[in-house]
Amino acid sequence: MRPEDQERILAELEGRLVARVTERNGKGEARFDEVLADSVYHELKRLKEEPASQRKSDDAAFWSEVLKSMRGASDRVHRDLVRRAIRRYGEEIAGNFDERVYQAVTRAGVPGLGLLLNAVSPKRLLEGLPSLPKIDDAVILQGETEQLRRLHEVGTVVLVPTHVSNLDSVVVGYALWRLGLPPFIYGAGLNLFSNQLIGFFMHNLGAYTVDRKKHDPLYKEVLKEYCTLTLEAGYDNIFFPGGTRSRSGALEKKLKLGLLGSAVRAFVNNLEKKRPNPRVFIVPATMSYQLVLEAETLIDDFLKEQGKSRYIITDDEFSKPKRVFDFVRQLFSLDSKIFFTVGRAFDPFGNYVDDDGESLDPRGRVIDPERYVLVDGVPAHHEQRDEEYTREVGDKVVDAFLKDSVIQATHVTARAVFDILRRQNPEVDLVRLLRAGGPREEMSLSEVYDETERLLVELRGLRSRGGVRLGQIVESGSAEDVVSDGLAHFSIYHAEAAATRRGDRVFPTDRQLLFYYQNRLEGYRLERRQGLKPALSADHRAIRVAA
Amino acid sequence: MSGATTTLRPSVAVLGAGKLGRGVARMLLAGGARVRVWARRELLHKQVEQEASGAVACDTLGEAVGDARFVFFAVPAPALLEVAEQYAPFAAGDHMALHACRGVGLGFLLPHQAIRQVTCVKRVGALGGPLYADDLEGDRPLAAVVASRYVQVIQLVKRMTAGAPVRVHASRDPVGVEVAGALSNVAMIAAGMSDALDLGETARGVLLTHGLSEALRLGCALGADPATFSGLAGVGDLIPRRVTSTLRNVRLGAEVAKGKSTNDALLEAIGAVEGVTTAREAAALSTRLGLALPLVSAVDDVLFGRRPAKDALEDVLGRDLVLGAEALAS
Repeated sequence: MRPEDQERILAELEGRLVARVTERNGKGEARFDEVLADSVYHELKRLKEEPASQRKSDDAAFWSEVLKSMRGASDRVHRDLVRRAIRRYGEEIAGNFDERVYQAVTRAGVPGLGLLLNAVSPKRLLEGLPSLPKIDDAVILQGETEQLRRLHEVGTVVLVPTHVSNLDSVVVGYALWRLGLPPFIYGAGLNLFSNQLIGFFMHNLGAYTVDRKKHDPLYKEVLKEYCTLTLEAGYDNIFFPGGTRSRSGALEKKLKLGLLGSAVRAFVNNLEKKRPNPRVFIVPATMSYQLVLEAETLIDDFLKEQGKSRYIITDDEFSKPKRVFDFVRQLFSLDSKIFFTVGRAFDPFGNYVDDDGESLDPRGRVIDPERYVLVDGVPAHHEQRDEEYTREVGDKVVDAFLKDSVIQATHVTARAVFDILRRQNPEVDLVRLLRAGGPREEMSLSEVYDETERLLVELRGLRSRGGVRLGQIVESGSAEDVVSDGLAHFSIYHAEAAATRRGDRVFPTDRQLLFYYQNRLEGYRLERRQGLKPALSADHRAIRVAA
Repeated sequence: MSGATTTLRPSVAVLGAGKLGRGVARMLLAGGARVRVWARRELLHKQVEQEASGAVACDTLGEAVGDARFVFFAVPAPALLEVAEQYAPFAAGDHMALHACRGVGLGFLLPHQAIRQVTCVKRVGALGGPLYADDLEGDRPLAAVVASRYVQVIQLVKRMTAGAPVRVHASRDPVGVEVAGALSNVAMIAAGMSDALDLGETARGVLLTHGLSEALRLGCALGADPATFSGLAGVGDLIPRRVTSTLRNVRLGAEVAKGKSTNDALLEAIGAVEGVTTAREAAALSTRLGLALPLVSAVDDVLFGRRPAKDALEDVLGRDLVLGAEALAS
């Protein structure tokens, strides 16, 4: 982000939010002291569980001072404390911009630029190592790439990708660079800034922070307004709408809509201020890997958190550079492809747009998106209306994820083996099956081939109807080829293979990993024909108890 | 609403000039709206002028829509998609649409989905509950559910009917209201069959209860709120005995149970009998979803000649009623 924009955005952020809080105070909806009390409560509670650090000391000092100053103070003092809290949150979110680092990086040249500016770059680390295949061959860009390029020129883009791995940031950054697009802004979990490999660049190149441990409503409002302002300023954004990496391996079904709502807000603000190029576009994107770097940690966390609080994982495979290197090297050794698929774009009301950014009705007629936000003939915010528009956009993103996801051999093989395992152990519930196994675990290779063949027929039928995308082997290979490719991938990288072949028998050797990879096929209703129920709940956030 | 539609006198287009359309036009005029009615036939123009004095009858749909920002679809379910397609070129993002359809389209397409499938309008509402057109004519007190995900639709309907003797109940569940309305017709076909076979009042009551339970099950599988089915759109809709659309379904059920073919019964019916299509589409959907809907399946089987009415209904009457949480789990 340009330094002049950063300061202007922070000033505007402070002004808007103070005005909004003041208005609510005036209407009696939420007094200043109530807002402060909420903030103090949430922050002091959060800090109790934080490990010791300079940041913790600073935060604790700030909020203790706020608490002390609040007592018996006037409205004017309360208002000023709210303003300071907003400013503090805003500065934390916006990050520290260092002009010198920005200039150094922009002089570094194009190949590394996109990645570096998206602030995660093992490529830099890996470049020059002779044994690595070219990343260009390994990452397949497909879908509406031309449309994405064009929309960047006519408006502001919100890219919403699926999220399974911290490597997603590298893939997205690489994809954008290869498409000739400048870096997009995105929010990274505050925990990632402590990663030595990426923290330096992230702090200094304008990627903003999101602290998922902060539950203060005021913080969330500051975050949303910051995103809105960056869109208004014309900065393309990336939102991972699942909010975090998918723990189960399944596609996101229930999205965090708070930041996605920034698209409508920015559009209305742009119209109110009569800005040129006021349009905002939502572009869904999917990434598909045969194997996921952090799969073991993620699925373990998913299973542990059933019924408990989710933890923020800070020390997983991604934090170990050698592990990342081994993963990438082994993945590419099997000529594995990573698919980055750009979906068809739509406006903040869920209407598809053409390559010129014109909104279209369901029959392809050009319509005026401004009409969606008129109140008595002028553009205006309407909270409930706009929330509903955003909810619908969320549904459309979920549909796009399903449609544009690329199913690969590991997903199909895992699904085949897992379905057989479930059918062989009908009396064992899923959680027990995953943790402790069942009385019948091994299966014949020919059974796995038959099951895979059934899945391929269904998937290919679905693909022909535009309901999914398939990797090459899944598209046109035999069941034997798919299983062979899937098992070959399972045998590399992970500590224990998801499934192993010994002679003509197949063994689910790591049931949890198997579950993780088969979950990529949840949502396509493939289990119906096998007489099974889905393994996950409707929102993909929990295991179905009665499966 | 736009500058052409003031808050005080909203401009409304009523698409359809039948009994319902004319009654709605009259009600909206009483609330102070400016109303244009799309009436395809000259005869209907005269009826509009007589029964809804102050409304303007229009030959073309485009003329009726004009500068209106609120559109009421006063057409039966079988005609909805076609009328929505005709309206689509005149639709805009600041329009709001309302319908009172009691049926579904192919693939169990719900009415609000049909409107959204072919037009750019997002803010769509469904009118549900026991809408008796004769009560409209007789200026008797009315009650209706207006269901929409968009509060602005509900607020506008309430504002426009403020001067009329109608109590508008709000719902945020258009799926539930539409499923309840559509499946009540299927239950009424079963009730008509039961009457014709002289199975008795008890059997009639049991069949209607099965129908409601199955509507809840199917509705919730599609994302509806279970509470909708115990409200005006669910239970409330099954109680009144003389609602015209209800009677058409009851009569058809009776005729088929007495031996007439469904096609002949449909040809002889005056007006749309939406329960026939709903039964077929609901049965197909239940198979796709793996849901057991014995009453729906029974009516579908009888209507399409697969089972005699007596056997089919007695099979349903012999089953346990599955209600409440159990119905949602099964």
